[in-house]
Amino acid sequence: MSDRVRIKRMTPAMRIIHWATVFAVIVCVITGYYIAYPFYQAQISVEATESFVMAWNRWGHFISAIILDVTAIWVIYLYFFSRFEKPYKKLLPTRANIVEYGRVVYNLITLNRKPKGFDTRHNDSFNIVNFAILHLMLILMLFTGLQLYVHGFGSGHSAIGAWWPWMLHLVTDWTLWAFGGKVGVRVVHHALMYGILAWAMLHIYYQIWRTIFWREGDINIVFGGEKFARKRSA
Amino acid sequence: MNQWMTEQIHAAHSNRIEPREQAYYDALFEKSKARLESLRAEAPLHEGMDIHAALAEEGMDRRDFMKWASATTATLMLPAMFQPLVAEAAELFNRVPVIWTNLQDCAGNTEALLRTSAPTIDELILDVISLEFHEVIMAAAGHEAEAQLEDAMATFKGRYILAVEGSIPLGLDGQYGVKGPHAETYLDHVRRVGADAFAIVAMGSCAAFGGVPAAYPNPTNAVGVKDVVRGKPIINLSGCPVHPHNITSTIIHVILTGQPPALDNLMRPRFAYGYRIHDNCERRAHFDAGHFVEEFGDHGAKHNYCLYKVGCKGPMTFNNCSIIRFNDGANWPVGVGRGCIGCSEPDFWDKYAHERPVAAGVRMAPFGGVEKSVDYFGLGLLTAVGIGIAVHATASIMAGKKDEENA
Repeated sequence: MSDRVRIKRMTPAMRIIHWATVFAVIVCVITGYYIAYPFYQAQISVEATESFVMAWNRWGHFISAIILDVTAIWVIYLYFFSRFEKPYKKLLPTRANIVEYGRVVYNLITLNRKPKGFDTRHNDSFNIVNFAILHLMLILMLFTGLQLYVHGFGSGHSAIGAWWPWMLHLVTDWTLWAFGGKVGVRVVHHALMYGILAWAMLHIYYQIWRTIFWREGDINIVFGGEKFARKRSA
Repeated sequence: MNQWMTEQIHAAHSNRIEPREQAYYDALFEKSKARLESLRAEAPLHEGMDIHAALAEEGMDRRDFMKWASATTATLMLPAMFQPLVAEAAELFNRVPVIWTNLQDCAGNTEALLRTSAPTIDELILDVISLEFHEVIMAAAGHEAEAQLEDAMATFKGRYILAVEGSIPLGLDGQYGVKGPHAETYLDHVRRVGADAFAIVAMGSCAAFGGVPAAYPNPTNAVGVKDVVRGKPIINLSGCPVHPHNITSTIIHVILTGQPPALDNLMRPRFAYGYRIHDNCERRAHFDAGHFVEEFGDHGAKHNYCLYKVGCKGPMTFNNCSIIRFNDGANWPVGVGRGCIGCSEPDFWDKYAHERPVAAGVRMAPFGGVEKSVDYFGLGLLTAVGIGIAVHATASIMAGKKDEENA
């Protein structure tokens, strides 16, 4: 392995965000699907006063959603102000980014045809654009989800004060207009789950594929934070 | 309720921030009191119509009336100190002229008022109201009825409340719905009568949002009042039908304060439509527990389980029917085990009124109709082929000519 160098790609903070997102999405999908369509029954021998199956599902859904929302805000901050790498630079539609994007896609659809024509050592624009798509979906989930959440705050009060439902209305009421009322918001919130699941499938497939075909240990990025690269890359 | 009591309640719920303080209600109380005094000074619009006489006729005493006034004060979400004013406002119902016009609907809101087994105080109060025009229940017809309408509009110009029941069809230049001996379209009618109204109250979901006539495919292009009338206070009392108690409470609010109640983003009074019925549902414990009716008639249905899985739209519906119920508080849709169809929400017939949870989706024929979509597809394909043939033929002819020149 003397022709390989070790490259740091994800800081501990980035990896914490990654795995927090993974588990929060898993919990949100399972509990969210239960909320939308309760696919298992609670024990009917237990009195309703002592059974909280839907209540726990909703609790888990909202807690995971809050974790997702807060990490999404953290990620947006890091996109611009991270001291490790600033992903927004790869989102700008510059000539270099567009060329790199095309070359990474070409590498993928031609099953790792060589030479790659791009640097495998840093996070390329194809990956970063994909991450941005995920985060846009998560942000839309945030707005539609909080709009559905605020429906229960008819009194205008909450445990943490009146500012909270007031702010939720201020920030999310546009979704009612955009998606055609409460049912539209709910349908969008539900349908986006499939978008996120499809995204996760493609993401996992691509990262494993890259590990196998590039032979640079990419899968370790998300566990150990590092990968290897050939000394003379590209 | 005095200042001290209010403070005690605030102290007991210290984590709550009351949006309105005592000073607000004190000011509103004085304002309402002055307004009622000036209304009382006016002569009743029709002699011989008195709420207490009507109550006595039905065998109801003052105690029943005051119980009703307390309930109405609570419905309006006013402090208890307003109860005497609410009672007084009910006595002054015959000072407020109302013109009720029926447009494109089933007259179900009128029916809901008329066809109950025993008249409630709400219905008696609506009997006492100075109803200047109501085609469904008035004896006059044709030119006579129109003359009555013109007379009421001229006499009470700028003072009357216009109650609109039914949607307004815009298709065929509005010719789907005409009224009166001069076949005035509903659109022209509601704009003309609405122009001189003090406020417009849309009674029921058809008048508010188009309702059932506006359901897919909406052949008459039906819309609600708010879509065609501008520059007037509009109060949407949606529901299919609207609850009579919400009608009286809204009119009481107008009598008390001289202005429409606070409205939500769909122009519905917050006091009635501010809360989700799901949050005040008697079956809510079964929702949280995970006890769901799987199909009508099963064990869960017999034991009042949550109706969410058989399509109850309570979690998406804002109304107060889970609190005040229908038919003098006897029962309501979820109570009888039928589930909510969201009748007070826009597009309820398309989006709410099915026996599936929202996640099971709105089901439609492919692309909005088999023949329609096939025809459009076929026509599009034919057009594309035609254009392709025309382009190819033109190119061939041009190329052919060149070949001849070259040859």
